[in-house]
Amino acid sequence: MPDFLWNSQSPLEKAVIAGRHGAGKGTPGVSLSHVGDIALVQVMARRGRNADVAKAAKKLFGTETPAMLKVANGKSATLIWSGPDQFLAFSQQPRSAPSLEQMEEAFAGTASLSNQSDGRCLIRISGPSANDALAKLTSLDLHDSVFPVGAAATTSIDHTAVNFWREADDAGANPAYAMLVFTSFADTLWHLIVDSSLEYGVEVAAIGAGH
Amino acid sequence: MEGSTRTVAGQSHRLGSGGQIDRNAPLNFTFDGKTMTGFAGDTLASALVANGVRLVGRSFKYHRPRGILTAGPEEPNALVELRTGARREANTRATTAELYDGLVAQSQNRWPSLRNDLMSVNSLFSPIFVAGFYYKTFMWPAKFWEALYEPAIRRAAGLGKTAGIADPDHYDKAWAHCDVLVVGGGATGLAAALAAGRAGARVIICDDDSRLGGRLLSDGGEIDGIDALDWLQGAIAELSSLPNVRIMTRTAVFGVYDGGDFGVLERVNDHLPQPPEHQVRQRLWRISAKRSIVGAGAIERPIVFPGNDRPAVMMASAVRTYVNRFAALPGKRIALFVNNDDGWSTVDAIRRAGAEVAAVIDPRGKAAVGDYSGVRVVQGVVSDVGGGVDGVSSVTVNGAGGIQKIEADCLAMSGGWNPNLALSCFHRGKPAWRDDIAAFVPANAPTGMTMAGAANGDLSLGACLRTGHAAGAMAAAEAGAKGKAGNAAKASDEAFAIKPLWHVQVKGKAFVDFQHDVTASDVQLAQREGFESVEHLKRYTTLGMATDQGKTSNVTGLAIMADAVGRSIADTGTTVYRPPYAPVAIGALAGHNRDENFHATRLTPSHHWAAERGAVFVDTGLWKRAQWFPLPGETDWLQSVTREVLAVRNGVGFCDVSTLGKVDVRGADAGTFLDRVYINAFASLAVGKARYGLMLREDGIVMDDGTTSRLAEDHYLMTTTTAKAGPVMQHLEFCRQVLWPELDVQLSSATDQWAQFSIAGPRTRDLLQALVDPSEDMSNEGFPFMGVRTVKLRGGMDARLFRISFSGEMAFEIAVPARYGGAMARNLMIAGEPFGVTPYGTEALGVMRIEKGHVAGPELNGTTTAGDLGLGKMASKKKDFIGRVLSQREALTAPDRQVVVGIRPLDKARRLRSGAHIIPKGGIPGPETDQGYVTSVCFSPTQNQWLGLGLVSHGAERHGEIVKAHDPLRNETYDVELCSPVFYDPEGVRQRA
Repeated sequence: MPDFLWNSQSPLEKAVIAGRHGAGKGTPGVSLSHVGDIALVQVMARRGRNADVAKAAKKLFGTETPAMLKVANGKSATLIWSGPDQFLAFSQQPRSAPSLEQMEEAFAGTASLSNQSDGRCLIRISGPSANDALAKLTSLDLHDSVFPVGAAATTSIDHTAVNFWREADDAGANPAYAMLVFTSFADTLWHLIVDSSLEYGVEVAAIGAGH
Repeated sequence: MEGSTRTVAGQSHRLGSGGQIDRNAPLNFTFDGKTMTGFAGDTLASALVANGVRLVGRSFKYHRPRGILTAGPEEPNALVELRTGARREANTRATTAELYDGLVAQSQNRWPSLRNDLMSVNSLFSPIFVAGFYYKTFMWPAKFWEALYEPAIRRAAGLGKTAGIADPDHYDKAWAHCDVLVVGGGATGLAAALAAGRAGARVIICDDDSRLGGRLLSDGGEIDGIDALDWLQGAIAELSSLPNVRIMTRTAVFGVYDGGDFGVLERVNDHLPQPPEHQVRQRLWRISAKRSIVGAGAIERPIVFPGNDRPAVMMASAVRTYVNRFAALPGKRIALFVNNDDGWSTVDAIRRAGAEVAAVIDPRGKAAVGDYSGVRVVQGVVSDVGGGVDGVSSVTVNGAGGIQKIEADCLAMSGGWNPNLALSCFHRGKPAWRDDIAAFVPANAPTGMTMAGAANGDLSLGACLRTGHAAGAMAAAEAGAKGKAGNAAKASDEAFAIKPLWHVQVKGKAFVDFQHDVTASDVQLAQREGFESVEHLKRYTTLGMATDQGKTSNVTGLAIMADAVGRSIADTGTTVYRPPYAPVAIGALAGHNRDENFHATRLTPSHHWAAERGAVFVDTGLWKRAQWFPLPGETDWLQSVTREVLAVRNGVGFCDVSTLGKVDVRGADAGTFLDRVYINAFASLAVGKARYGLMLREDGIVMDDGTTSRLAEDHYLMTTTTAKAGPVMQHLEFCRQVLWPELDVQLSSATDQWAQFSIAGPRTRDLLQALVDPSEDMSNEGFPFMGVRTVKLRGGMDARLFRISFSGEMAFEIAVPARYGGAMARNLMIAGEPFGVTPYGTEALGVMRIEKGHVAGPELNGTTTAGDLGLGKMASKKKDFIGRVLSQREALTAPDRQVVVGIRPLDKARRLRSGAHIIPKGGIPGPETDQGYVTSVCFSPTQNQWLGLGLVSHGAERHGEIVKAHDPLRNETYDVELCSPVFYDPEGVRQRA
């Protein structure tokens, strides 16, 4: 019998070209990165079971479910509001996060789960010019007073649905954002983001993998 | 700065001192091939003025020689082709084009040269080129229009020529947000931005010019006791120091839309020969503002008199701009023709520059307030202008003392000021007339917009600063800013007295719209011919329809119409104002979305694998799908596709079908939900089984089809067609959220989560047995047709396996998480290698579904019912579902409906064409005999001929009938047989094997 290898593959494996691109030589205006092999589960409360879902989430993740347009940071996962009565449970380290089976058990009868670990692709953008580059991509107002750390939005980029949230500022005190894009759109959106960042100088990190 | 006419070397009309140009930064440029020199800070227009150039273009209709009329974006005459090659830009206003070293500009609309233009012969025939000329002359015979008249007119008309090749530059689009948007960076806008910015509001201030200042740059004055230009520097410094204020120069606000959204164009790099690497030429902004203040100033209007279009007849405000800002003298002996006090201020500018004021001609006959001793004042009007193509030599004045001729080389005119109120009218606001300034002023601006300063009819500098400050403070407070706006800057309120004068009524060609060559007599003729409404006037004479959109002509034109009709100007009214206020390049509207970035693309999980194998891709919606996989030596797509079909029919093949929409439907009421969405039953579907489903729109027409599987009691997986995945998801969400919120149903798209492949052909089971764990029972009993379950694969992987067939062969679909899509394709090749496994594309998929008579997009085309598709029996009679009631409408159940039928040419060598119409044998093609059409065709390798599906009236009852296929596009008519749509394995034995 032949050997069957099941190597995972990022949808960005061709698109991500690590290194410095675009204008300038000093501090890059924009930093871009992508982490593959994440864990992502869409949690949708059953009808009338929001309170039970909140209780189960608190027990499982150690945090309240996220308020509208917010993220909630738990011990092992980030919960991202994604619509009325639903959120995304995201972890970049699937091995230290609750497994899908553990989640099925915790939310049994109270929520429907949809595994989106392969359905979405994580892209991070930060840097002193990140907001300028993002202004070309999103109609969101990213001003501190409107979209502070912890803010989340279900929005669209280039007519494509995206879950978008603001993470803690980077080491240089510049804003940092994460977005989950549909896997099939990842390649095209990555190129769009790079193109939009070139004039500020962009540093692209090598593809990271979840652990 | 007591100026001097001492000229700069080579620049015959450049002042030796003064102005806001950098004499240490000379810039070379060419105009019509002649090399000249200007300075940094110049516009192309000011550099031409400094070089003594008067003639810059030819008019649109009569090819009359024209010069520079204004110094701003309202310029109707001085349009040039800027740059060369692919960057050549037609109809660029010399007054807004910033000079750069190496700039190349060409005049337009002349042949063979600007000085000797043969088409100026049109001017001799001008009595026939009157209003409505084209309408009147080229009416008959009608059939001549397309072949003869239009091409000839198009050759003669038009101004500049486009480059004709792709624009090499990049454009993009961006969003910005603020509390207060300030439109215009003159005194009013600066005062508004300072007030709002100090109060703490987020402010964006935009100005079309390369620098802030507006008329302050041209007219100077005194603000808060200091020179206006010094005050300006302070204001800019303060605004720049405020982190909540963003200054955008070279930026035009061209439209206001719903909810406080503004259309804005930033000319990021138009002032350079070409954009620096990685930068765009222009950027289209959508600015979302809670409040807006429009301090867009006013536009000085010409007076209509014979000769008013001669080169070197210029707006008085433009003369001041060229002299004060650019240190360029439009003339050395300048006459003034004004009807208002503001025009008189030009006297000072001319004198300080060391030039001579030939006379001030004012129908009011008296000097404005101020010291005008020594100025020759003539009470009267200008009735003619002498000179040639190179400008003015004299001015003829009809005055109290009779007719006199005054020598001058330039005539500066001012008929008053029109507030720049377009933005206030873009939501159908109608302006109001104010007699004291003889102009329209804004009356009902869009919600959240405040008009201020000259744009609101407050023409004095003091009033601009006061109203701008007040508007800024109020807007900031309304937007929630809590800080203090500070004090308004102060300046004097200079008098503005005016006596309206629109038209000097003497014989001779007197221009209203310079760019479209509309004269006062054209307006009067339009009135005599019954085109009295301003909207008719505009369309009949083309007044205001040129690239300048009548910025200098509209109000004057309707004033002349009002006079002709005997109505007041207020009663005559204005035409409807529509965006864009300023020209917007199509490239800017497209932004990044051109060429390969025209739209987003979606890639399947096996895309890169397919690309490595040399697949040819096809766009299906946003997706790139492998269309076929050519092998070395294959030269024709049909050769590759036929090989792929035969490989599947005789062995085994696989195809990436991840593009089909997949929707997880969960919850206690998932079955009930699907029963209402589909025409057939799903609540009764057993766990571990799949079923073909058909859904209708509310109107009874088929919406989509697909296979839906029950994975658990409360979990279904629906599949949709590739094309309808998005619309179906929207439809389901609408049903869930709006129609039946009481149901416990949760939906999520799983399309991108799974890499799914169809494996088909008689050797499918052999291939799968090599791939799945030996513990899995793959027998016909262990995995029956329409069965679904999760199986273990060798190498440690779980997969969902569905026994469904689209090709008519023994087939499965296998799904793994998308990250393993590439691995799955490679493993299918390994597992199937002994059986000659062949990857196939969408073409082979299409061939096999047509051979099998399965309907797809061409049949589910938004006009067909379930019955039309031969699927009427699927509709449950035991339940209600979306579309049930309306599907029973008389029209949708009529016996003569066009239904799906197979079609096969009698001549087996004949290629059947999609779109061909079906007519009865012996019928003459036409609407009366038309019975339907061919929807899908393929070359069938198993039947060894072209065949297809069609929608034909009474089709189901006519199998075996010979009819004609008529293809008017290819002018073909041939015999075809109507038959069963199932050409291949009609008993369905193979897929159940």
